[in-house]
Amino acid sequence: MRIYPRLKFGTKLNLGISAILIVMALLLLPLVGSMNAKSLVEESRKRGAALAESLAARAVDPVLSGDFLRLKNMVDEQSAVGDVVYAFVQNEVGHVMAHTFSKGFPVDLANANSVKNKAKVHIQLLADGSARIYDFASPVSVSGQRLGTVRIGLSKARINAAVQKQIAILAGLIAGALFIATAIGTVFAKRVTRRLRVLREHAEDMLTGNLDTQSGPDAGVHCWETQNCTLTQCPAYGEKRRRCWYIAGTLCPECSHEDDLQCRLQSCRVCKVFRQNAGDEIQDLAETFDVMALSLMTHIDELHEAERNLRDQQRLTRTILDVTPDRVSLIDTRLRYQGANLSFAKSVGLEVHEIEGKTDFDLFDEATAEDRHMAARDILVSGKRLDTQVFVQDGDKERWFHVVCIPVPDEHGRVGGLLRTDRDITDIKGYENQLIQSQKMESLGLMAGGVAHEINTPLGIILGYAQLLQEDTESGSQIYEDLKVVEKQAQVCKKIVSDLLGFSRQTQSAKREMCFNNSVMEAIGLVQHTFSLDRVFIVTELDDRFPIIYGDPEKLKQVWINLLTNAHDAMSNGGVIVLRTRLDTPAGKVSASFADSGAGISPENIKKIFDPFYSTKPVGMGTGLGLSVSFGIIEDHGGDIHVISPVPVESDYPSMPEGVSPGPGALFEVNLPLDHQDVENGESHEE
Amino acid sequence: MAENVRIDRMRLKIMLRMMAVVLCLVLPCLYGCVDDEPPVQVDLSKREKVMALMPVEAITYAYLPQYSHTVSFQRHRRLLEYLRRSTGLSFRQIFPDTFDEHVKMVERGEIDISYSNPFVYIKLAQSGATAFARIIEPSGKPDFQGQIICRQDNPTINKIADCRDKRWIAVDPGSAGGYLFPLGLFYDNGIRERDFAKVDFAPGPGGKQEKVVLAVYAGAYDIGTIRKGTLEVVAGKIDLDEIRVVAETCSYPGWVYAARKGLDPVVVKAISKALFALHVEDESHQQILQAAGMRGIISAVDSDYNPVRELIDKLGLEE
Repeated sequence: MRIYPRLKFGTKLNLGISAILIVMALLLLPLVGSMNAKSLVEESRKRGAALAESLAARAVDPVLSGDFLRLKNMVDEQSAVGDVVYAFVQNEVGHVMAHTFSKGFPVDLANANSVKNKAKVHIQLLADGSARIYDFASPVSVSGQRLGTVRIGLSKARINAAVQKQIAILAGLIAGALFIATAIGTVFAKRVTRRLRVLREHAEDMLTGNLDTQSGPDAGVHCWETQNCTLTQCPAYGEKRRRCWYIAGTLCPECSHEDDLQCRLQSCRVCKVFRQNAGDEIQDLAETFDVMALSLMTHIDELHEAERNLRDQQRLTRTILDVTPDRVSLIDTRLRYQGANLSFAKSVGLEVHEIEGKTDFDLFDEATAEDRHMAARDILVSGKRLDTQVFVQDGDKERWFHVVCIPVPDEHGRVGGLLRTDRDITDIKGYENQLIQSQKMESLGLMAGGVAHEINTPLGIILGYAQLLQEDTESGSQIYEDLKVVEKQAQVCKKIVSDLLGFSRQTQSAKREMCFNNSVMEAIGLVQHTFSLDRVFIVTELDDRFPIIYGDPEKLKQVWINLLTNAHDAMSNGGVIVLRTRLDTPAGKVSASFADSGAGISPENIKKIFDPFYSTKPVGMGTGLGLSVSFGIIEDHGGDIHVISPVPVESDYPSMPEGVSPGPGALFEVNLPLDHQDVENGESHEE
Repeated sequence: MAENVRIDRMRLKIMLRMMAVVLCLVLPCLYGCVDDEPPVQVDLSKREKVMALMPVEAITYAYLPQYSHTVSFQRHRRLLEYLRRSTGLSFRQIFPDTFDEHVKMVERGEIDISYSNPFVYIKLAQSGATAFARIIEPSGKPDFQGQIICRQDNPTINKIADCRDKRWIAVDPGSAGGYLFPLGLFYDNGIRERDFAKVDFAPGPGGKQEKVVLAVYAGAYDIGTIRKGTLEVVAGKIDLDEIRVVAETCSYPGWVYAARKGLDPVVVKAISKALFALHVEDESHQQILQAAGMRGIISAVDSDYNPVRELIDKLGLEE
């Protein structure tokens, strides 16, 4: 039953006022009533005494003369007065001479009161049933000679009625005062509660986020106006929302510049501006409230700014972490994941937020998890970083990872976690293998060149002697035929030696200005007829600007023939070779592309296609040196050669010969530089 | 916080309880103060008829009501006491309201012993009353005078002749010093009653001498006529400096004791003896005489009052 706290302020105020007035009334009414009653009774007693004495004085003559009529008139005159109940005159022996009673004289009354000779009056309270009467007895005497007694009765009921009336008037006045006080209290309470309501509404506004409120009254006088201030850089200058005493760091020479608000306020209380503007406690509250709202707004703005910065930082960090292909994860000392980046999450098939709290056994197969778990535990125990490479069989893919595990110290310097980074180095591993292969090839080339160089001379002698012996023998004989075989095989060897020397660039090159198109056309002219027999047709789209390059025409022709032959060999059932030349002046290069419609090259083979002795052809059909020799020649010219299979769609093929279905094909592209200066310089260096 | 609230509530409760206790103690006291007097029980409904008591048989004594009854009573109370004591008779003072009533009561035998002025005595004597004693005035003489008075500031009245055409207030048509003697003086000065603008008598009953002085003092009348000695009586009521005595009459024999016709001569003799025995030198007698406004009482006979009879005859007042 908490009724009182729930009452409205106005009701409480009115209750308080009413309580005070009612208590006052309860205390005052009886007091005033009794005082009034006393004074009225006293007054009545005095009046009654005066009446009695006056009557006694006037009654002397009629008593002396025994004038009953005058006595009767006299007592009747008395009873005409308001509260006089009766009046009568007794002679010296107490016999009633005149009275105001209409039917007989009350027997009890004659001796109910008496007065001594020397006394002026004696008052006696009489009770007739519930009625109270003050009886006044006054002696009628002359020069001390008692002639009789005058008696007058005053009704106390009338006195009481007068008292009651006064109390009623007083009660009415108090009720009026209560009404007025309540009305004033209500008005006052409304004024107060209106201001409190404004405060409350603003507080609610603040709760809903609207901090741009004003509870206090508009500033009447501004400090810079009162003080004729010209310090426009002062934070209080031009500030209309906040009072100057709430603003820190004001420049006013009369202000105390303490940091503490209370100390500042102490000095402000004597300031003229404060005295003119300061209000009551509610205004203080409202103004403090406004200042609070303002500073809260500022703080919230700062907080928002900080939060935005933090979010940007977080996003940046997250982006960096997520964009990196490395798998980054953080493990705490209980070997549970605290966080990971997107790459890691993808690798384990989860979302980033799902990683937290998981263990290795939740994310990986048991063997891997065991390995990672043990490794992590070792590092947590030892505190030393781990730097290793791990091979992972990811489905049918073989992948290599460079794993770095760094212990993360906590605020006490102890190992509080573990940052693990798995970097995919499969490609680097591939490059590493290629490098090893290249080094092997280079050694092989050098060795083959050396061997070829050494073999070339004896081979020439063998060939020469075989040819000489043939001249000495009869054609068609067994020896002749054998010598023919020797010569032919010696020729094959010579070709191999020649290719090996070319591959190892141990043949002399004779470079000069030459027409690129002509070189290509010459090569086509050599093979066109032979190819056509195998239903392989060559379509040319030569650049009509006739680019001039600096190169060795013979060697380049050998490259073209190699590429054409290679294309031809890829189309056992016939097909089309599209040959394009392009001059790209801005890039400073000229290119030739050979596209065939053959079976194409598998991705695995593409990597090895320029390796020496690599061939898909059956044994005896090729040496596997054609493309590697071509590669060497093009490199010698400062250009590059590469292959794409299948042929990109934009290479539109002309119509196929009948019965030929086009395969995916392969496109060899050779790029040669137009500017030969670099090549010259490079060669001069090599020499 | 909650602790403070609890303590505050406890304090409030204690305060309220204390206030209630104080109210309980104070209020009954306040109410009780009103009715603290023990009343005497009477029953006003118990009535009886009141009958006037028959007066006791006694010699009635009346003083001519030239003053109020109270003054009359005061003056002669001690004298009557003395008479009761010295004669062993019972006396009762009675108070006629007017001179005429006094005269008639003597005529009717209601007043046994009359103490009156000479003018009234002349009337009483006609009804058979007999003078047996007269007083010595405080002045020491057995005679007294009348006076004509006016206001001190009245410039028009300096001598008797100036009284003509003035408003005159006299004591009573039966008054000796206050009417008869001044009337004789005016007569001797050639002023008749008709020569006054107005002639009024002081309204009765009793206190008529004083009323005259007061009427002149108040300016209601230009002149007044009084017995000599009255001004001393009213000395406490008005400022005597405001009153001027215009003239005084000649002396006439003073106030007289008369016995009604038919009163036992033994009684008269006893009274006379007692009265004559009063001497101003005696301290107890002095009080009695002083109160009665006399210096002594001497024997008198009817013939002592012939000058007054003559005056009445002269003025033609004999009915």
